[in-house]
Amino acid sequence: MGQLDGQIALVTGGTAGIGLATARRLAAEGATVYLTGRRQDKVDAAVAGLPGDVRGVAGDVADLGDLDQLIAGIRDEAGRLDVVVANAGGGGWANLADATEQDFDEKFDINVKGLFFTVQKALPLLTEGASVILMSSVAGINGSPRMSIYAATKAAIRNFARSWALELAPRGIRVTALCPGPVDTPSLGGFREQFEKDGASERDVAVPLGRLGDAEDVAAAALFLATAPSSFVTGSDLIVDGGMAVRA
Amino acid sequence: MGQLDGKVALVTGATAGIGLATARRLATEGATVHITGRRKDKVDDAVADITGDVHGFTGDVADLGSLDRLFAAIEERSGRLDVVVANAGSGDLLSLADVTEQNYDDTFDANVKGLFFTVQKALPLLPDGASIILMSSIAGINGQPGMSVYAATKASIRNFARSWALELAPRDIRVTALCPGPVDTPGMANFLQRAGSSSLDSPIPLGRLGTPEEIASAALFLASAESSFMTGSDLLVDGGAAV
Repeated sequence: MGQLDGQIALVTGGTAGIGLATARRLAAEGATVYLTGRRQDKVDAAVAGLPGDVRGVAGDVADLGDLDQLIAGIRDEAGRLDVVVANAGGGGWANLADATEQDFDEKFDINVKGLFFTVQKALPLLTEGASVILMSSVAGINGSPRMSIYAATKAAIRNFARSWALELAPRGIRVTALCPGPVDTPSLGGFREQFEKDGASERDVAVPLGRLGDAEDVAAAALFLATAPSSFVTGSDLIVDGGMAVRA
Repeated sequence: MGQLDGKVALVTGATAGIGLATARRLATEGATVHITGRRKDKVDDAVADITGDVHGFTGDVADLGSLDRLFAAIEERSGRLDVVVANAGSGDLLSLADVTEQNYDDTFDANVKGLFFTVQKALPLLPDGASIILMSSIAGINGQPGMSVYAATKASIRNFARSWALELAPRDIRVTALCPGPVDTPGMANFLQRAGSSSLDSPIPLGRLGTPEEIASAALFLASAESSFMTGSDLLVDGGAAV
């Protein structure tokens, strides 16, 4: 008996890292999970690698036509959505002095605009009592030098959680911001290099618990937010960061 | 197979409301639970009422001698503590102008001093990987008119979670601040009756009070391996009230 038996979930950006681990955990708890990614081969590989009822849809959340097709497909097959994990997004270094217009547009289009319209277009399918989980970051709380564009997109996402929690409360829909700290995933690569380049151990530099997080740690938090144990939680952050936000 | 099989937990102030619901939930998940309260009859009632391996202790967390006796008893019976829910505390409805020195001292002694020394005296019993959950409140984030002493104690508690998370991280001990919003407990009923139900500053977005069980399930999440990368932060369980 899984906690999500009979429920329908969407995880955007579900082909690697945190998104993949979250899709895995939700499917393990009995949900039918739709996952998205921009590349068909990666979507197919993710679906093939996950036990449970997992369905892949290739598309770019920054493309509103792709989003329409995604939601139409879910509506035709499943008829509703109980859990949305709006996770698609990316990082990357960008110093204030050197960032290009392209750097800016890419990050805001995917992380913020894509997330915004993912949730908006999902609205008609959301059941009463549905849970919407927005993937933010501790960078959205404290900022992040040399990653200010990424950090600002994550701050915008945290703020969405507050506004939408109020807007959607009359439908009993909960909206929360999940804020991971440094997690050992493929997209962390540059951050880890910076650790090593700075010549410091993980504990000294940033993480009180002295290690990077695992994607499964974030997936466990997403499961909590997706299920009845968090039924009175809305409009707030869940920070999963080994204590990093305390130090910054 | 409970999430806390084989674990030992302490919940202070566990004879009613959130504390009682939390003790009950941890026991259901397989923990041996030590509970405290200030009145023996209430402690005995709670022990009788909770299914599972539960042990009661009568004492006042604001009395350091009483705390010493509590931890001696836990050490003798269980030998260690994996989970501490520092929940004991209270608040009075008193405007700034009306607070007496006694009101102030009683509230800070129970909520802050008692909580501080509960955690300090628990330290020798905590293994690496233990979880400490401090019961704060959204009042500790936003303030609470008519309850400024209570709200300040809850702000102190949130702040402890941050400092102690850093101090105890080398032992892999996690410290978090659980921040309930308005919850349907005897304490809340008392507050609403005296203050009037319109006294909740703003409507709760989810349109209802929380239940003690909803706070207890958040405490379980923080107590268990599911939250093993969480420390030094808040978990708000408030129906959106803090927004």
